[in-house]
Amino acid sequence: MTGDESLRRLRVVLVDDHALFRAGARAELGRQFEMVGEAGTVAEAVAAIHRSLPDVVLLDVHMPDGGGVQVLRSCTDVLGTTRFLALSVSDAAEDVVGAIRAGARGYVTKTIAANELADAVTRVAAGDAVFSPRLAGFVLDAFGTSAGDVAAHEDELDRLSAREQEVMRLIARGHTYREVAGELFISIKTVESHVSAVLRKLQLSSRAELTRWAAARRLL
Amino acid sequence: MVAPTWLAGTVNSRPADPADPATPANPATPATPATPANPATPAAQPTHARPPLVRSAEGRGLGGVARGVAKHLGVSVALVRWAFVGTSVLFGAGALFYVFLWAMVPREGADGRGPLPILLRLRWTRRTAMVVAGAALLAIGMLLAAQAAGANVHWEWWLPTGALLAGVGLAWSQLEHRGGPGRAAGGDAVPKADIAGPPRPAAGQAWAGRSPVSWARLAGGVVLVIAGVVLLIGQNRPVASLGYAIVAGVAVVAGVGTVLAPWWARLLRELGDERAARAREAERADIAAHLHDSVLQTLAVLRAQSEDPDAVRRLARAQERELRRWLYETRAPASDSVAAGLKDVVAEVEDASGVEIGIVVVGDAPPWPAAEALLRALREALTNATRHGAPPIDVYLEVSERGIEAYVRDRGAGFDLAAVSSDRLGVRESIIGRMQRSGGSARVSRALGGGTEVRLAVPASAGGGAR
Repeated sequence: MTGDESLRRLRVVLVDDHALFRAGARAELGRQFEMVGEAGTVAEAVAAIHRSLPDVVLLDVHMPDGGGVQVLRSCTDVLGTTRFLALSVSDAAEDVVGAIRAGARGYVTKTIAANELADAVTRVAAGDAVFSPRLAGFVLDAFGTSAGDVAAHEDELDRLSAREQEVMRLIARGHTYREVAGELFISIKTVESHVSAVLRKLQLSSRAELTRWAAARRLL
Repeated sequence: MVAPTWLAGTVNSRPADPADPATPANPATPATPATPANPATPAAQPTHARPPLVRSAEGRGLGGVARGVAKHLGVSVALVRWAFVGTSVLFGAGALFYVFLWAMVPREGADGRGPLPILLRLRWTRRTAMVVAGAALLAIGMLLAAQAAGANVHWEWWLPTGALLAGVGLAWSQLEHRGGPGRAAGGDAVPKADIAGPPRPAAGQAWAGRSPVSWARLAGGVVLVIAGVVLLIGQNRPVASLGYAIVAGVAVVAGVGTVLAPWWARLLRELGDERAARAREAERADIAAHLHDSVLQTLAVLRAQSEDPDAVRRLARAQERELRRWLYETRAPASDSVAAGLKDVVAEVEDASGVEIGIVVVGDAPPWPAAEALLRALREALTNATRHGAPPIDVYLEVSERGIEAYVRDRGAGFDLAAVSSDRLGVRESIIGRMQRSGGSARVSRALGGGTEVRLAVPASAGGGAR
């Protein structure tokens, strides 16, 4: 699937209520991607996304009138083709995990370097998940890190496998996917599939502790 | 039920450390009604037109009760006074009611901050209990002595009266006991905390959070009072008519209660609304004060220092950190939390170096000595990273039941421990040596993607552990 898409420039919509940030991101990302829309409110965002059907939406999770989660809830019909990458300055786990559980494919902080942001957009467009160190930390915190928290079966939704824990831990330590792959002597593709599996668990898990953890931080 | 919204008004005031062992009761602490009045007593006047019921300070005959009631009800003082005198004919009911109001209603004070009613300030401590018990024993002793001396003691009057007083005392002593075990156990040591506390919750809230013991005491008080009244009134009456009288009494109480219930409910609701409004106002003022002290000050300093990009960056980062903490975190003090300790360490290094450091923390625990040593070593590692490495710098700290594991990662040129001369104390002594002395370990390695990674670990202690 890469052959065709790498030739075509990815179409990106930018959703953020700060015009200043949009201007900066547009300048940075415009060199590499086709910026097909911008929005500063939830309503504008929903309209822009349905109008232009972009490959990737860069979505600020923290906005007035409902924020990124609200946008995601109004765009469930396009989730199959349009990928959402959550962006935030917020340290609040509630916003971030809320956006992931509503369908975002990744989360990065706004302090991310421009080239890394571009990488993240490309990765999300290719269907992979993007985990920043902070999101990996949230995941470890929510799913637990003790020996009893390790999943026995690969398809268990409520616990991370030992390998997934290792991958999350390395990402939380600030390693890139490439460095994680080198550290664990596995391919980048394998790292990506582990991360996607964790994302799926984060979205679908009904783990009681996740719920409790989330409730303690006022989310879901 | 009215939510305790006044709690929201104390966003910044941290509750006392719950982990601290309770201060032993200090017998020297005066636990008398002389404690100064609660300064946080409601400042706002009620919004409805009727003036609040307070004892009048001016133009008073005795305690200012009649004038206060007259003002409150909007009738003439003379009428109220005559009502008190007139009803006093009925077994002294008017006089009793007057005394009751005098004790329960606050005196009119400057800007409405009257002292709390005396009875609300009475604290049911071991000391007052002793005094009351002593007084009761003394009274019994005097009666017995009088009887022995040949006087005719009317026990059929004294016993019910005693029961009545004991019941009232028991029930009223529960006015103070709203907090449950903490207050009940604290005895003499606790009252001080009340002085700075939020307004004493009245009526509705006083019923919330009572312990079963407190309910039992209240019920016991009521039963004692009923028994006292029945014995007092039912003297020399046939038992059958007594039963009938009890039924009639209950029916009257129920009837009057039903009639008055809507007013009572409205009063509670108004109280709750008023308290909520006050809490909102206090919260707003709190936010304004915080923004004024932090963000506005920083902005002013930033404007003054706009020529120095380094200072601007540093100030902005420090302010951002502070505001974010205030907005998103309910922070435990560093003495209670390894995570909070780490954040303090990172903040110090960021302030000193001007380099931004990314933090990820998983889990938390109260610190133990080895954990504190790890934080000190971590500070050294971070300082090295900001000095010799290159950003971005990331810290990862994980607290689990196995212990603490921390990583500091930078993207500098890398670092070879063997190449560092042994007289350089930084890494060897303050990182590796410190970790080994506290039973932990430290490892400095070249990270795969370039740069240096320092790993620090300490095992869990008996006293420390996960979350």
